Amino acid sequence: MATVTYDNATRIYPGSTRPSVDQLNLEIADGEFLVLVGPSGCGKSTSLRMLAGLEDVNSGRILIGDRDVTDVQPKDRDIAMVFQNYALYPHMSVADNMGFALKIAGKSKSEIRERVEEAAKILDLTQYLDRKPKALSGGQRQRVAMGRAIVRQPQVFLMDEPLSNLDAKLRVQTRTQIASLQRRLGVTTVYVTHDQTEALTMGDRIAVLKDGLLQQVGTPREMYDTPQNVFVAGFIGSPAMNIGEFNIQDGHAQLGRAIIPLSRETLAAVTDADNGKIQVGFRPESLDLSSEGSGGAFPVEVNLVEELGSDAFVYGQLAAGTEGAAHISSGAGESQIIVRVDPRQVPEKGSHVWVSIRAGEQHNFSASTGERLPN
Amino acid sequence: MSAAAPTRDLTPRRPAPDAAEATPRRRAIGRPSPWVYVLAAIVVFFTLLPVLVGVIGGFRTNAQLAENPAGWPDPWVFDNYLNVLQGSQFWRYTLNSVAIATMSTVLVVVCGIMAAYPLARYQFRGREGLFTIFVMGLLFPATVAVIPLFIITTRELHLGNTWAGIALPQAAFALPLTVVILRPFLQAIPKELEEAAMLDGTGRIGFFWRILLPLSRPGMVTVGVLAFVGSWNAYLLPLLLLQGDMRTLPLGVADFSSEHASDTAGVFAFTTLSMIPALIFFLTAQKQIVGGLQGAVKG
Repeated sequence: MATVTYDNATRIYPGSTRPSVDQLNLEIADGEFLVLVGPSGCGKSTSLRMLAGLEDVNSGRILIGDRDVTDVQPKDRDIAMVFQNYALYPHMSVADNMGFALKIAGKSKSEIRERVEEAAKILDLTQYLDRKPKALSGGQRQRVAMGRAIVRQPQVFLMDEPLSNLDAKLRVQTRTQIASLQRRLGVTTVYVTHDQTEALTMGDRIAVLKDGLLQQVGTPREMYDTPQNVFVAGFIGSPAMNIGEFNIQDGHAQLGRAIIPLSRETLAAVTDADNGKIQVGFRPESLDLSSEGSGGAFPVEVNLVEELGSDAFVYGQLAAGTEGAAHISSGAGESQIIVRVDPRQVPEKGSHVWVSIRAGEQHNFSASTGERLPN
Repeated sequence: MSAAAPTRDLTPRRPAPDAAEATPRRRAIGRPSPWVYVLAAIVVFFTLLPVLVGVIGGFRTNAQLAENPAGWPDPWVFDNYLNVLQGSQFWRYTLNSVAIATMSTVLVVVCGIMAAYPLARYQFRGREGLFTIFVMGLLFPATVAVIPLFIITTRELHLGNTWAGIALPQAAFALPLTVVILRPFLQAIPKELEEAAMLDGTGRIGFFWRILLPLSRPGMVTVGVLAFVGSWNAYLLPLLLLQGDMRTLPLGVADFSSEHASDTAGVFAFTTLSMIPALIFFLTAQKQIVGGLQGAVKG
């Protein structure tokens, strides 16, 4: 068991001027499940591969425990990795796949057998041990890849989008299996995904990256409740947060007919560079249906209602007559607003609903820097 | 022909079934068009006809051959084959051929895969240039180099009239094709497999031995068979370098046919028998060859 530390770790691919991972500083506690998440090309996989030793570290250091592994060969780092396509050796049986690292390490046959069988039991693979990977289903292959990692009893597990080749249902199942397995084994795990739902459900902590820069690290709750900038706010949560650029007028954020009160602290944090504008974000579930004329309420024209049974989401836009509907966006796209409503009382398509943001559930961001402002 | 029967009822209804899901690896799952069989039958017929004439001719007497060159044996005569098999010459030539073909095949496969591995999976300056040199080797017929080769092998290497003297140059000339076939094969093996192996503790050499070699077996069999058959059929280089008892089967066939020019049936028998070892080799490896030409493993 060990901690993992990224100390200003930077990776610049040859022929590129912009670093793929830019001065990453991250500390992962012993036994922690950390999820690296971000859009494609954000450097999350590169960060993981740097830890694995598959990518060079151009500057900075990476430590596993107290040991500086920056220039250590992958095999000597005491880590195990699960690849997106599993990278099982096609010509070996499941047992040989799982025991390969031990065989290379020169362990005795009986010990290998014992450890492989133990791992197979955990993963429910015992009856498949003599099969070739070709004869397994996608989910079983995924488990073999996990087994290969477990057998080695490494200090750190690295997982590079291990669920993305599974179908949706199996993914949800395997997600919980991996998470509970990790809790049971207590091995420090770094997990890469582009799926923020996976990140929220699996991670002890989440690190959001964008363009090689670490945006925010925190528990799923923190990431969801207090995103530190506009990017994290829009990235974490499904459906995504509604974020709009409002004008500040008389101590209120205003966009067309939408007038949202701002606190004194928020106003004080607005700088000249913001040019009298502020970005306000509010999650679909932070909106309450209210009536016309009540404070802070604004009208939304309903385009579409998505009913999920437990929830219903209204997809709409700031109602006609509101200049600047284009200044607001959400996960559904430009000038769209998503509102969660009671699934038993959904508004009609084409109708107008008045909504207001529940007190304290509004996120304010600087218009110029995108950084979070106090509420 | 028998293939004509299914032709008429099936030809009209064939709306290009596999065009939509034409994944290159997957052959059409449904029944192939009968035209495929017709076409294949025609090709096979014309390919096999001369061979069959030779094989069957070996079972006839010269008198029968003179009477009707393309007839059926009547009665069947086994003397021609028995004569060849009982003579010591045939076995001597066969031994030489087998030894030389085996040596050159082993050389080609071992050197070929060792050359193809870095060319396929290492990043280094001048890699493509180096590969081009190998490709250019394809343009070089052995015939052009045969005189200098003769001088080098006999004078410098003192390998004249030895198995190695033939096997070495033959392996060298088979190498370009080997590398050209093996390189994409090795390239297609997923990068993750190499990374997984590295994390599991193998070095590049360990990956080569434990993962790459087993996975590229179809490819190696393919180039091995090509090299073996190429060496088996080689004529010019052995003709220049080998004399007397060291000669290979093709030389033996040529000799036999000039010595016994009038014994056409005997020549047929000798030729037929000289094909058999290569044929056996080819047939045993046939499945792997198809796999090898189809492409590499997926992860």
